[in-house]
Amino acid sequence: MTELLATNRAMFWRIIRRLLSANRGRLFIMLLALGAGAAVTAALLNLQVDAKRRFTTEFRVLGANIVVAPRNVHDSGTSPTGLLGDSVIRSIETQTGRNGVVAPFLFLVAHVRKADGTLIPKREDQAEVVIAGTSLNELPLLAPGWKVPMPIYFEGTPPNVCFLGQRTAQALNLKNGDSIELFYGSHAEKLEVIGILLAGGAEDNQIFVQLPAAQRLAGLSGQVSLVQISYAGSPTQIQSFIGKLAAAIPEADVRPVTQFTEGEARIYNRISGLLTAMVGIVLLLTALCVMAAMTNVAMERRMDVGLMKALGGATRRVLRLFLVEAALLGFTGGLIGAAAGIFLSVGLGKAVFGVAARPRLIVYPVAVTLTVIVAILSAFPLRHLATIRPASVFRGEE
Amino acid sequence: MFLRLVTDSFGRRPRRKLLTGAALALGMAVATAALSVALDVGDRLAKEFRSLGANLLVTPQADSLPLEIGGVDYRPVNAGAYLPEADLPKLKTIFWHNNIIAFAPILEMYASVATTPDAAHSPNNVQVIGTWADYPIYLSDGSTFRTGIDKTSPWFHVDGRWFAPDAGALKRVNVFPPDLPPGAAGGHTYVPVPDECVVGVHLARRLSLHAGDHVYITYPNRADMQNYLGKPSIGCAVTGILTAGGAEDDAVLMPLISVDRLARQGPGEYRKLYVSALAKPEDDFARRDPKTMSAGEFERWSCSPYVSSIAYSIKQIFPGADVRVIRRVAEGEGQILTRVRMLLWLVTGMALLAAAVAVGASSAASVLERRTEIGLMKALGAGSATVGFLLAAEQLLLAFVGGGTGYALGIILARLLGEKIFGVAPEPTLLVFLVVIGLAAVVTLLGSAIPLRRASLYDPAPILRGE
Repeated sequence: MTELLATNRAMFWRIIRRLLSANRGRLFIMLLALGAGAAVTAALLNLQVDAKRRFTTEFRVLGANIVVAPRNVHDSGTSPTGLLGDSVIRSIETQTGRNGVVAPFLFLVAHVRKADGTLIPKREDQAEVVIAGTSLNELPLLAPGWKVPMPIYFEGTPPNVCFLGQRTAQALNLKNGDSIELFYGSHAEKLEVIGILLAGGAEDNQIFVQLPAAQRLAGLSGQVSLVQISYAGSPTQIQSFIGKLAAAIPEADVRPVTQFTEGEARIYNRISGLLTAMVGIVLLLTALCVMAAMTNVAMERRMDVGLMKALGGATRRVLRLFLVEAALLGFTGGLIGAAAGIFLSVGLGKAVFGVAARPRLIVYPVAVTLTVIVAILSAFPLRHLATIRPASVFRGEE
Repeated sequence: MFLRLVTDSFGRRPRRKLLTGAALALGMAVATAALSVALDVGDRLAKEFRSLGANLLVTPQADSLPLEIGGVDYRPVNAGAYLPEADLPKLKTIFWHNNIIAFAPILEMYASVATTPDAAHSPNNVQVIGTWADYPIYLSDGSTFRTGIDKTSPWFHVDGRWFAPDAGALKRVNVFPPDLPPGAAGGHTYVPVPDECVVGVHLARRLSLHAGDHVYITYPNRADMQNYLGKPSIGCAVTGILTAGGAEDDAVLMPLISVDRLARQGPGEYRKLYVSALAKPEDDFARRDPKTMSAGEFERWSCSPYVSSIAYSIKQIFPGADVRVIRRVAEGEGQILTRVRMLLWLVTGMALLAAAVAVGASSAASVLERRTEIGLMKALGAGSATVGFLLAAEQLLLAFVGGGTGYALGIILARLLGEKIFGVAPEPTLLVFLVVIGLAAVVTLLGSAIPLRRASLYDPAPILRGE
């Protein structure tokens, strides 16, 4: 009995082998259809996960989305009261970690004039300008939308340089390479202009200097007016980060830049909804399409089924044969196709975001399983062949 | 005979043809849905991006340097230059007037704000912003365009309502004296409309103000100020409490005309104008300086709705104004839009690829299976060309029927998708239809061409014998 079973099994696999190798053209077509389906599935799944994460980073081109300011909001206009100390900046930096850019700002209104090397304040030929002290290195990261001409320094940006806002440069008739002098109270600083900054907003009317220079000028060492944070994350992540930050620094006022957080959340939700829906529809339709194509291929097996039944094969056994064949094909097609798809998505991620999409291993088994399921489902209509009368098939009747 | 052969092939094996047709229809439905959405998404998302607010800023060219920190300009209101309010409706007459979604003029001043007409200790130096909200502009074509800060800053939330567009202005009222002789025309007079304002949420909390209360605004630099009601300050009704998430939370927002009257007694003028315009993402061509372009290039540049060319056309109608692109918004918009577009085209491309391969496989299978039939036809004297022509006709017929069905199905899917995500369904376009039908025809023909060619190489005899 066991011997018979063993022979049966050997025969089973032998038939499968023959079924697969009998018609090379058909085998190729089936593998191609299944493989293409698997490739698209794997590529889309991988890209979808990656794209949503990439878009949260992409939104940082809008600049800072969180502002930390001293709690006692200035009551009267002319000078911002209240300042933030070093400890606050440090705790913000620890909280943010590598998820965002932290830029402390110290604002003051100082007198400016073109340098003649004397550093003696003369009241004439001076203009009042807003001085923004910050880390000039971080500026292109904080606001990638601005046009910041960043000269390359191998040992970090020197301390005595500044950027001029475009309108400041126009109004003061200054250009790249000029030297300027800043006066505030009894303090003075001499700086070299290393670039003209174009932002299209209030920043065009300011002068950007290094934070220590601004602090020396104002006589406020280690203190800043506010801290701007450009935090990358989905809208819910940003919300929870604001909550966490507010709890960590109770002495300061942490608030979202509503203009950008609200718009960002809205657009992000649209994009991610669109992407999910598109990928869902494409995957569903592709599966159905591959299934229809495979069924079409399988249906042409009438002759084979007829012959097997004529030789005494039970319908269930014949059906099992074809299901195993389909599963094998699905598995092979899936293995090859999904691997190709993952490579494809890495390349595509690079094309869209400039950064290669990280291949996610979980996608691979999922794509292969989906392909096998589609392949098996597409062999199921062969069940109808159970009603075939072998004789009529051989006679060429329908 | 030809037609009979074709119809016979369809009639004889309806189920097989149905399956090939189904594969085609499904594949083409994917293609249609993906193409329709990808074509439409740019416009839809560009509208969504307007929720980030204005992307253009107009300021007077001869202005002194604004001392602006955190959205608050510390210059006195009588320093610097202004632009006339009367010119603003011209914005809707420029070439790109349909792309201008909203605009709002801004004039700021500092005043003391009190809750009673003669309060001594009221907060000084409160920022008072004069602007428009839901302000009607009557266009030459008879329609009304409503704009203002509620449109350029959609993230502003007002608990209550915005001030009325005509608050603080003089309203023309027709007067009919009771003893008017019949047939004589009545005269008219001007009646001031009561002042209204919206108070920022932080300021409201500090003064414990609520919608419906009154505030009294005095401009301290002009103690001798008398408004046309003969009072030294403006009393205005608080119509709403504003939550803006910025400097406006500490400010009072009033109609532009009220601030002009309070601070300057001058004609309607403003200092800043925010414009929100629908623009095409900038490419390398758009970033070039228009001065260096040739005449043809300049024409192409000014006829594309780039944000810089819209800025250029605004500059043409506002002499003495400096029109700047708010780079943070415009660049962000451009970059993200380009990425989304690219991503969707990739998804579309992959959908097309998968659909094409599956459909091609399906039609290849249907030709493969008919080798005996082809052999018989050739044995009866049909040339390769005739056989190929017959099968191609069959496949093309199938492609048109399947492609058409798939197009209809895809359009329905695209509508569902568009309505669910953007609330607006993409319009079916002829372009997508032509592309889809063309694709269906090409894919089926290609899919069947390879097995067909191989079949035509064979001798009929071995095929008929089943070898």
